[in-house]
Amino acid sequence: MKKKGLVVPAVLAMGLSTALAGCGGGSGDSENTLSVWAMGEEGKLLDEMTEAYEEENPDVTVDVQAIPWDQAYDKLLTAVASGNGPDVLQLGTTWVAEFADAGALLDLTEHMEDYPDFNLDNYFEGAQTSMKYDDQIVGIPWYVETRTMYYRTDLLEEVGYSEAPATWDELKDAATKLSESGEDVYGLDIDLNDQITPFIFAWQNGFEFDTENPDFTSPEFTEALEYYTSYFEEGISTTSEGIDIIQAFKDGQKPIFFSGPWMINILNDQAPDLEGQWAVATMPAKENNLSSIGGANFSVFHNSEKVDEALDFISYMNEVDTQIEWMEKSNTLPSRLEAWEDPKLADDEMYSVFGEQLENTKGAPPIKEWEKVAQELLSSIERINIGGADLDEELESFNEKANSMIE
Amino acid sequence: MNQLVKGTVRNRHPFIFIAPALLILILFSLIPIIIAFVISFTDMDLKGLADWSNISFIGVENYTNLLADTVFHKAVFNTFFYVVIGVPLVIFFSLGIALLLNYGKNLVFTVFRAVYFMPAITNIIAIAVVWGFLYNTEYGLFNYLLSLADVDKVPWLEHPVIAKLSLILLAVWKGIGINMIIFLAALQGIPNSYYEAAKIDGAKRWQILLFITIPLLRYAIFFVTVTTLIGWLQFFEEPFIMTQGGPLDGTVSMALFIYQRGFQFSEFGYAAAGSFVLFIVIIIVTLLQFKLRKADDDI
Repeated sequence: MKKKGLVVPAVLAMGLSTALAGCGGGSGDSENTLSVWAMGEEGKLLDEMTEAYEEENPDVTVDVQAIPWDQAYDKLLTAVASGNGPDVLQLGTTWVAEFADAGALLDLTEHMEDYPDFNLDNYFEGAQTSMKYDDQIVGIPWYVETRTMYYRTDLLEEVGYSEAPATWDELKDAATKLSESGEDVYGLDIDLNDQITPFIFAWQNGFEFDTENPDFTSPEFTEALEYYTSYFEEGISTTSEGIDIIQAFKDGQKPIFFSGPWMINILNDQAPDLEGQWAVATMPAKENNLSSIGGANFSVFHNSEKVDEALDFISYMNEVDTQIEWMEKSNTLPSRLEAWEDPKLADDEMYSVFGEQLENTKGAPPIKEWEKVAQELLSSIERINIGGADLDEELESFNEKANSMIE
Repeated sequence: MNQLVKGTVRNRHPFIFIAPALLILILFSLIPIIIAFVISFTDMDLKGLADWSNISFIGVENYTNLLADTVFHKAVFNTFFYVVIGVPLVIFFSLGIALLLNYGKNLVFTVFRAVYFMPAITNIIAIAVVWGFLYNTEYGLFNYLLSLADVDKVPWLEHPVIAKLSLILLAVWKGIGINMIIFLAALQGIPNSYYEAAKIDGAKRWQILLFITIPLLRYAIFFVTVTTLIGWLQFFEEPFIMTQGGPLDGTVSMALFIYQRGFQFSEFGYAAAGSFVLFIVIIIVTLLQFKLRKADDDI
């Protein structure tokens, strides 16, 4: 309730940071300090990783700043406004286009040859989308994530599926049967706040996101959204927040859901008794079984004075061995294709599924309006699911809005 | 002119004393407001933030877009919905509770004073977590209690109108404490002699309340009304943490709308225009109150 003049602090931050920009660069106090901004849990863990790097390069000190995710965007805004940022920064893949467009990220094209670890072919095809903006190379994928299907093997067995549903029809059938198996059971849980899920369905149905002028009234997109919303219309998925997904998965009320690799650990920690009763599978297919790819990149801030040191550090972090070490520490998935040949990933029944899914992924379209477009689609879907609006009309108006947003 | 300067120098002490406050006010309030006003006529976004040459003046386009923006319409409607229902409730309950707590001074009253003040000093995130559980449709306490009385599940935060009312309930609960303290302080400032005189004259309890207590609380009531109204026009935290404006933009308030445009979508120019509309609404409403208050004084 008390948020006095929201613009005021923003403007103030801009003004102040410009005023302070003169005093000292953002690259730490000493000449050989490389400043790195990393977000969330990774930020806290990264500090431990840099020790080994510092041992190898005694003349460089790495100063890692851990920034909580919920403050990251504001912090980056301030850095952009003041031109006073770190040397290396971790950037969520969906933010890349926006900050690249603002000119905050250094174009790495001319350095690509010097660092073989940066070669595009080293990374998953889906992840390559986030490396490029216009004709520039603006980031190197650090770790990746993708969505797969988590399901209760025992409950699916009961409705006649000894294997995970592999197609849209099978998924619908299995989810319908599961829903009918008891009161308050929702066969498939779809997170209505997740921006990427509707696009995953659309991609699977052959939709291509044309970044110039996308057509959201195309039959591919419409059909995918019909499929998506039908789950809510038929009561197979619930629009209500309800019980926490972990608890509901445990109780069998939400026996199938889509999520990323982080869920493996959460389930192991919070539902240990469930071991052996659940598994992950690649996405069910329509035309294909594409999923989304996300994660985080390393980028160099546009006015960094230590470009070589920064690139050297990124290169070190992206060596296959470092990536494996990082995976064990942080439970995030390595972006390097080669890392996936390591038995720790290739022979793990959960992780290998993610490895397989990662081969079939697309990244969020590299447009700076992505956040706005995705949010607008979620509002449209909400109007269809809860407000009872007509799907075709909603898509028509969404298409119009989205195209006017994209310059 | 010379005379004026000399006079100022001679009487410089009051100016020196108010200078720090004035400087802070100018630096942190007035200048940003002016800058925001200028920004509201530009298309400033992230690109403009990085390099000011990317900013261009677009006249009143932001304002005309605002007028046509259906989400902004909803935000304005919701904000007035919050204010019209929430503000009277806060004043009524905080005054009522203050009057009741003023009846005695023993331990029970002290304990309850603390109980009612507690929400005001509790961290909003903690409140959000607890109330999120209370309001949960599936296993929330409210729906459990209602189920005992055979009432169907209420979608506390999942229906546009009910969600607004749920947020008002939460904000009233949170807003009572601080206003109650103001009323309590004012109540204790009323000289006892008035009450004694009234009793000697044989006034009944309700007469004492109506003709002595309430009139003497006029200033406190006015103060609480003005501050509460300004606070509720800027209704932000509750929808921000509980519903993010949903469902169907049913809980979006003007302040939340501004925040989302500015800090989620980086449309700084558009957000600045929105915040200026809010600024003007608050000024008009507050001036109106002072005007009404003057009329009241004349009687």
